Amino acid sequence: MAILDIFNRRSRLDRQFDELRRREEAGELHSVSRSRVVRKFLNNRLAVLGLVVFSIILLASIFAPLLTPWDPSKVNLRAMMQEPSLDHWFGTDKTGRDVFARVLYGGRISILVGLGSALVSAAIGVLIGCYTGYVGGWLDAIALRVSEAIMAFPEIILVLMLVTIIGQSLFNLMAIFILGGWCGIYRLTRAQMLSLREEEYVLSLRSFGLNRALICYKHMLPNALGPVMVNITLSTAAFILQEAGLSFLGLGVPFSTPTWGNILNAAQNLSVLQDNWWMWLPVGLFISLFVLSVNFIGDGLRDASDPMQQG
Amino acid sequence: MSDVALSVRDLKTFFYTNQRCNKAVNGLSFDIKKGKTLCVVGESGCGKSVTAAAIMQLLPRLSRIESGSIVYHSDQGDIHIEQLARNGAKMRAIRGAEISMIFQDPMTALNPVFTIGAQIAENLLYHSALRGRHLRDKVIDLLRTMGIPLPERRIRDYPHQFSGGMRQRAMIAMAMACNPKILIADEPTTALDVTIQAQIFELMVNLKREHGTAIMLITHDMGVVAELADDVAVMYMGNIVEAGTAEEVLRHPVHPYTRALLASIPILGRGRNQVIDAIPGSTPDPFDRPPGCQFAPRCQHRVAACETMPAETYTSPTHRMMCWRYEELAANGA
Amino acid sequence: MLTFIIRRLIILIPTAIVVSFLIYLALDLTPGDAVSHMISPERTADPAKLAELRQKLGLDAPLVVRYWIWITGVLQGDFGYTMTGGAPISSVLASRLPATLELSGAALVLSTIIGSILGTLSALKRGSATDNILTVVGMIGVSIPEFFFGLVAIMVFALQLQWLPVGGRLLPSYSSYWDHIPNLVMPALVLSIMMTAGVMRYARSSMLDAMGREFIKTARSKGLPEWRVNLLHGFRVALTPVIVLVGFRLPMLIGGSMIVEQVFQWPGLGNLFVTSVSNKDLPVVMTVALLSVMVVLVVSLLIDVLTAVIDPRVRLGT
Repeated sequence: MAILDIFNRRSRLDRQFDELRRREEAGELHSVSRSRVVRKFLNNRLAVLGLVVFSIILLASIFAPLLTPWDPSKVNLRAMMQEPSLDHWFGTDKTGRDVFARVLYGGRISILVGLGSALVSAAIGVLIGCYTGYVGGWLDAIALRVSEAIMAFPEIILVLMLVTIIGQSLFNLMAIFILGGWCGIYRLTRAQMLSLREEEYVLSLRSFGLNRALICYKHMLPNALGPVMVNITLSTAAFILQEAGLSFLGLGVPFSTPTWGNILNAAQNLSVLQDNWWMWLPVGLFISLFVLSVNFIGDGLRDASDPMQQG
Repeated sequence: MSDVALSVRDLKTFFYTNQRCNKAVNGLSFDIKKGKTLCVVGESGCGKSVTAAAIMQLLPRLSRIESGSIVYHSDQGDIHIEQLARNGAKMRAIRGAEISMIFQDPMTALNPVFTIGAQIAENLLYHSALRGRHLRDKVIDLLRTMGIPLPERRIRDYPHQFSGGMRQRAMIAMAMACNPKILIADEPTTALDVTIQAQIFELMVNLKREHGTAIMLITHDMGVVAELADDVAVMYMGNIVEAGTAEEVLRHPVHPYTRALLASIPILGRGRNQVIDAIPGSTPDPFDRPPGCQFAPRCQHRVAACETMPAETYTSPTHRMMCWRYEELAANGA
Repeated sequence: MLTFIIRRLIILIPTAIVVSFLIYLALDLTPGDAVSHMISPERTADPAKLAELRQKLGLDAPLVVRYWIWITGVLQGDFGYTMTGGAPISSVLASRLPATLELSGAALVLSTIIGSILGTLSALKRGSATDNILTVVGMIGVSIPEFFFGLVAIMVFALQLQWLPVGGRLLPSYSSYWDHIPNLVMPALVLSIMMTAGVMRYARSSMLDAMGREFIKTARSKGLPEWRVNLLHGFRVALTPVIVLVGFRLPMLIGGSMIVEQVFQWPGLGNLFVTSVSNKDLPVVMTVALLSVMVVLVVSLLIDVLTAVIDPRVRLGT
C-alpha cells in the first residue's frame, strides 16, 4: 500500500484526508459538545504527561515522611559521602545526611517558593491591574510608573540587591520574588482591562449605575483570566529556577533549610563534581523534570485556551 | 472550443479542518470564455472563493482537490491544473503570468514592509526578462495606466500610504503586469466605497476590452452582476444551481434560489416602503446537509423528489439549472 | 527619525532618574556608614580629617543633596570606592567589562541566529517530526537550570573528555588573545541555551503568524518560488517581533551571566556582583545594579530604533 502511495504521489497528509473522508461519509464523525478547552488540553499528550509528573513530584514532597525514614538534617559522620545503596537511595552527602530525604524535603521548600510566589504575585497583580486598568486616572499612572521602574531592573539584579539590603531568609526571598513578580501580571491584566473596557456589555453595566469595583472584579475579570493562568504556570517555573540558582550561589535560602538549589551548592567543588555524582545529578534532574512538567502544563493551557489555533 | 480559456469539470474540493471532512465544493462545472466576464454569485460560504483558490492551486494546507478537472487552454496546449504540483515550476509559471488573482482586502493582501513598486516589480522579475531601468519604467507605466497619479513618486510608497481605492488599483496593476489571459477577482470591491467600486469596475472593463482578458468575478452583489457580467453562475452550498448568459439568468431566472436572490434586492427609487422578500431560513450547517437539493428546506416550490439531488438540465444551449421543477418554473416566467 | 529618537529619550529619562534615586535611597537607608565609600580610603584613615572632609564635600547634608553629589559623580565616571579593599570602583568595573561583553555578546549572537533559524524551520515544517522534536528540545532548554547544564557540561567535556578547559578566562600560560577562545566555548553555549530556546519558540509563532497572512497568498499567486515566499515575505515580516523579543529578553542575558560566570569562574561583572553580594559590599552592588538598569534602558531604546528601521509602519507612525 505504501509503495503505491509513493507512485501516486500521495503524501502522509493525503492518507489522513482519505481516512477522514471515509469516516465522515460513514457518519462516524460528530462535533464534540464537551468543553473545547478541556478536550484540547487532554488531547495534548505532553500536557497530560506534564500534569502527571508534576503531581507525582508534588505529592512525593508533601508525603516525604511516608517515603523515607531518614531525617534530612540528621548528621551522621560515620556515613559520609556514601554511594547510593538500598539504605540510602541517593547516597549521603558530606556530613552523612541522606540525599534522597533532602531532595524530597527540599522539594517542599522549592515548590513552596515557586508556586507560592507565583500565586501571590499573580493575586496582587490581578487585583491592582484590574481596578486601575478599568478606572484609569492618576491611580493608574502611578501604578504604571512604579511597575516600569521595577521592570527596568534585570530580575536577578533586583533580587540580589534587595537580598543584600534586607538579608537572607526564606520569607525575605519570597517577599522579594513577589515584589519583583507582580509587575508582569499587572501589565497583562491591565492590557486586558483596557481592551475589555470598550466592550458593549461593560458600557451597559455602567449605564445601570453599577459600582466600579463590582464591574471590574465580577464581570470583566473572568474574561481576562485565560492568559493569567498560563502566566502563573510560567512564573512558577521561572521562580523555581531562580530560587535554585540563587541557593546554588549560596545567596538564596540559607543552608539550614534544604532546598533543591542549595543541595546543588556542593557541586561547586570540582572533586565532588567528578567523583560524587549522586550528590548533585539526581537533584538537578528533579528540578529539570519538575520545571519541564510545569512548562508542558503551561503550554497545554495556552494551546487549549487560544481561540485562534487551527485544527 | 477555441473561445474557452479555462474549463472546469465536476470539481470537488474538500476541507479537512477540525478533524472533519467538509465538502465545500461538490461537483462544479463551468467555462471561462476568452475576453468575457463570468460572474460567480452566491452567499458567503457557498464555495466561490474555494473554487478560485482551487484554480490557482492556492488551497490551504488542510484541504485538497478531491476529483474533477481544471483545464487551462493555453497557447501551448491544454494543461491539467489539478494534476500539477501545488508549488511546482509549471504551476508557478502559470500563476501571475497566465492566470492572475486579485483579492478582497488590498490592505491585508499586500506586504506591509515592501514598497508598492517592489511588489509589482517582483511579478515582472519572475515572469519577464525586464531588468533595471526598463523594469522600473514598466512598473511606472502600469501604475499610470491604472489611473494612479504621480506614479514615479508612488512606487516608493508603502501600502498603508495609499488610499483604499488606490491600493486596489495597485493590486490590479500587479496582477495585470504580465498580461495574463485570465484574471480572477475575488470580491474586489467589497471593502471599498460604492463610488470607488464603480471606478474599479470601469477599469476592469477597459482591461477586458484592450487586452482581451477573461475575467472571473466573484461577488455576492447582484447589482455588480447586472453591470458587468457576460455569463453568470449562481452557486449555493458547493453546487452551481443555475448558469447561463447574463441576459438569460437575470431576465429569465428559473431556479428558486436565483429568483429569491433577485427579489431580495432593494430597488433604488422605489421608496422606503418597498417590500423586500427576504429568503426564509438560513444556509445549512455544512456538516449536517440536507440529503438532496441543498436549497430544498428553504424553497417554496419543494416536493418529495427534492430529497435527491436534481440533475443538471438545459432550457437553452447555454442556460442550465439544477431543479426538478425546471420546466414549470421556466414556463411561469420571473 | 531624529524626532522618533528624541521622543523615546524623553520618556526614558524620568525612569532613569527615578531608578537611580531609588538605588541611592536603598544604599543610604542600609545601616552602616555608607557615606564614607564616596571618599578615597587613604583620606579616611584619620577620624578628625574624615569629619572635616565629610563636611567639606557636603556629605553631612540632607539626602537629596547627597543624592545629587553622588549622581553627578556617577555621570562623570566617579563611582566611589569598594568597601572591601578600597579600590576605585570605576577601575574594577573597567577591568571586568571586557570579559562580560565577550561572553554576553557571543551568547546574544549565537542565540539570536540559531534561535531564528530553528524557529523558522520549525514553522515551515509545521506538524512534522522535525517540528515536534524541536519544540520539545526547546522546552527542555528552558526547563534545565543553567548552572546544572554548566555543571554537566564541565563534567563531560572538561573532566571526562578533557576537550575544553574547566574554567577561567585569561590564564597566565596564554600568550595571544585567541588562546582563551576554548575557555569561551562552554560558558557562551550554556548562557545562550535559555535565550535560544526562547527565541526559537517565539520565532516559530511569529513565523506561523506571518505565513498565515493574506499577502503570502498574494505572493504565491504571482508564481514566486517557495523560498522567496518564505524568506522575503514570510521571514521578513516575522522578524520585527522577534527582534523586539530579543531586546526584551536582554535582561535575562544579564541575569544568566551571573550564574554562568560563577560556574565557569569567568571574571566578569556578573561574578563581581555575586561576590560583592556575598561580602555585602554595598557600593559595588549598587553601582552594578545602576549600570545594568541603564544598559537595559539604552538597549530598549536601540531596539525601538532598530524596529523603526526595519518596519516602515513604525517609522511612519501608524
